[in-house]
Amino acid sequence: MIATVLDLVNLNKSYGVLQATADLSLSVERGQIHALIGPNGAGKTTLINQIYGSEIPDSGCVFLNGENITGLSVPKRVRKGIGRSFQISNVLTEFAVIENAIIAEQARRDESFHFFRPAFSDQDLIAGAMIVLERVGLQKRSGDLVADLAHGERRLLELALALSGTPSMLLLDEPMAGAGFEETLHMTRVIDGMRDNVGILLVEHDMDAVFRLADVITVLVEGQIIASGKPDEIRANCEVLAAYLGDEE
Amino acid sequence: MTFTLLLEQIFNGLQSGVTLFLIAAGLTLILGVMNFVFLAHGAQVMIGAYAAASLISITGNFYVAALAAIPITFLCGYVLEYLLIRHLYQRDHMDQVLATFGLILFFNELIRIGFGPAALFSNLPPSLSGFVYILPDSPYPVYRLLVIGVGLVCAAGIYYLVTRTKIGAMVRAGASNESMAAALGVNIRLLRRFIFSAGACFAGIAGIMLGPLTAVEPGMGEPLLILSLVVIIIGGLGSVHGAFIAAVVVGIVDTLGRVVLPLLLRSVMEQSAADGAGPALASMMVYLLMTVVLVFKPTGLFPAKG
Amino acid sequence: MDLFKFLWTGVKEQQMLFGLLTGFALFPIYTAYADLPFWNDVAMRIMLLGMAAMGLNLILGYGGMVSFGHAAFVGIGAYCAGISQFYGLNNGWAHLGLSLGVCGILGLVISFLALRTSGIYFIMITLAFAQMLFFLFVSLEQYGGDDGMSINRADFMLFDLYNPLRLYYLIWSALLIISVILLFIVHSRFGVVLRAINNNESRVEALGLSPLRYKVTGYIISAMICGVAGTLFASWQEYVSPDIMHWSRSGELMIIIILGGLATLAGPLLGAVVFFILEELLPELLNLVAPSYAENWMIIFGPIMIFVVLFARGGLMGWVSRLAARRMSDHGVGQ
Repeated sequence: MIATVLDLVNLNKSYGVLQATADLSLSVERGQIHALIGPNGAGKTTLINQIYGSEIPDSGCVFLNGENITGLSVPKRVRKGIGRSFQISNVLTEFAVIENAIIAEQARRDESFHFFRPAFSDQDLIAGAMIVLERVGLQKRSGDLVADLAHGERRLLELALALSGTPSMLLLDEPMAGAGFEETLHMTRVIDGMRDNVGILLVEHDMDAVFRLADVITVLVEGQIIASGKPDEIRANCEVLAAYLGDEE
Repeated sequence: MTFTLLLEQIFNGLQSGVTLFLIAAGLTLILGVMNFVFLAHGAQVMIGAYAAASLISITGNFYVAALAAIPITFLCGYVLEYLLIRHLYQRDHMDQVLATFGLILFFNELIRIGFGPAALFSNLPPSLSGFVYILPDSPYPVYRLLVIGVGLVCAAGIYYLVTRTKIGAMVRAGASNESMAAALGVNIRLLRRFIFSAGACFAGIAGIMLGPLTAVEPGMGEPLLILSLVVIIIGGLGSVHGAFIAAVVVGIVDTLGRVVLPLLLRSVMEQSAADGAGPALASMMVYLLMTVVLVFKPTGLFPAKG
Repeated sequence: MDLFKFLWTGVKEQQMLFGLLTGFALFPIYTAYADLPFWNDVAMRIMLLGMAAMGLNLILGYGGMVSFGHAAFVGIGAYCAGISQFYGLNNGWAHLGLSLGVCGILGLVISFLALRTSGIYFIMITLAFAQMLFFLFVSLEQYGGDDGMSINRADFMLFDLYNPLRLYYLIWSALLIISVILLFIVHSRFGVVLRAINNNESRVEALGLSPLRYKVTGYIISAMICGVAGTLFASWQEYVSPDIMHWSRSGELMIIIILGGLATLAGPLLGAVVFFILEELLPELLNLVAPSYAENWMIIFGPIMIFVVLFARGGLMGWVSRLAARRMSDHGVGQ
């Protein structure tokens, strides 16, 4: 069993003169929540995108469970075990909650390319989908259309879809964004409960949630890691806070 | 195959190329920058041709008629945008396709009612029906040379408009992005209407110039529309200079293909087989060119974005 | 209760589809009784148009891919019959097989080239390829070129097509089979992924599915269905010409779908009926008002389309399901 799930080695990515990721190396271990904080424009989402595969680094490698996945497409990486939630809710808005989960379930089982096997009426798929919905606490809303969900519930559904592929590495891009106090608490509990068999890379602006959840915190400024360590160490590191908060105000 | 014939065909290709560019220039902006699927652009060509043809029969003077027809086409575009098109910007592509397809049916039928289903032919004035010797022994029609000239002047004008003027900068900045344009202080509604009317106007000029060269008939615009779509696919969506290069290439390939290809085939295969395959292959040349471009550059030779 | 409503309208839609199919099955009895054999011909044309539109609807309505070139596949299907017969092969089943094969391969090539981009590019590229095929057949003089070629009805062995009723029920059976296949596909695992791609392509990618594979497959299936409609069309018309693959025919198929209702199973069939009625009715109406312009019915049809697009999204099926929803809430079911 390899303890390191995700390993980034010397990643570089620039847009013209703007260096979005500068020679960045980082690793995430199984069962660990690794939080990524930093001011806006520090390159957090760009980094997530390079791990996810929607952007390709100019140089450097991404290893997942010891395998180099740098050249793979998004769907291939997902099948290798990367799960992701997006900054802006990204779910199937014209379908019911359970239908979202069913499509995710059939994708996980790699049973999507069937032309005559029913999908939404298949008891086996429904059962699998319900398990995932229960993990985030959405089972009561399974019959509702996504369009009728509250903002926080959509975020939960998105989390459920990311979990459904039984990923070994989860990328969570601001899961609390736009959520109210209660929703943030619930979301924090849900994320806390997920950590067992996965590595989690969490980008989040809500510092309370970050310090409550994270095992390791990395501070990113202008595409570079300026500090990395246990929450207590980071909290003590005034320079970091200054850089971070100074830019934030 | 003589050199004279080849030269003449290249000039013919150039003439059809610049005409195609006039149609494609506005269309590539409407499709690429405004992200609006406008299929009735061919109808603008037809309107230009009919406006010129009827003005010739009224005034009896080709030059006056041709010049007077230009503002008419601009006005047509303006009114069309005001009455219908602006209500469709926020719709999805499917709606835009169907509504503008409905427009095509409407315009073609309107022309058929107004002018009859038969093709109109307009005669050139004596001053334009002569020949010029482009080489000592190869005469070439003056009018076609004039078309090439006017087309190139218009192309230069369009290029200047898009790359060097404030309007052009606004077009490039964000006719597609409402909030960005608003932030730049651009009146997006006026800008769109301008692009649209100017595009209609240039398509109209193409129609006016094509009048004496082709049959002016209902539905004449659609083959030209599809050919200019091919031009835009090759040149890259939203790219004016891409459209120019692609239009000239398409014009020359199409014209040369029809003349040269059958001759070439006849030299490598039997007469009967060549006579069968020649025209078929020639009619597909432009599309095969498009396919090759698509294989290697899916977004065209000069994609405007990215 | 929303899920219930969703299922209910789904059932309603299938009832509509099989209702229409039953109607077409019984129609010849009526025409025999009323002695209107001509109307069988009309019904066959409607069924064929509806069949092609159903094929297109799989990718246009369910998959969200605006293909503006599907008449080309209808034409290819028809020419598969015509050209085979030209070389002495008159077995209808062979024609169908050939048509499925050729349309499948062409569908694969065209969709692969067109789907590497999306949006407006897709529309333009499908239109351009259809125009290429149109010009190809216009310039193939040995197969009649512009004028087309007259052909005999194909030999379908069990079905003697010179008995008009046999041809009718051959077309009807094909329509039934295609309807059932589409019914399964739309609700299958493949079908829901296709619909999901239409809704949100990046979400489908995030689930680990490659959208291109599903889109290309959908396109191929829809091209093949149009090919079958074309092959049968050739036997019905006893004549094949490039006209059936003209770009405006592709537009007509789209109109039929939008009139009936996008992404519904019965919509295209219903749309074909309405399209036919408009085609017959508008000249009659014009004849009353302005007799000399009866031929120019398109002058009204064009604006009707614009009107439908602007104000009547969802087509007739949308109207039916809104009615159904209202009735349900009247009965207190949908609350």
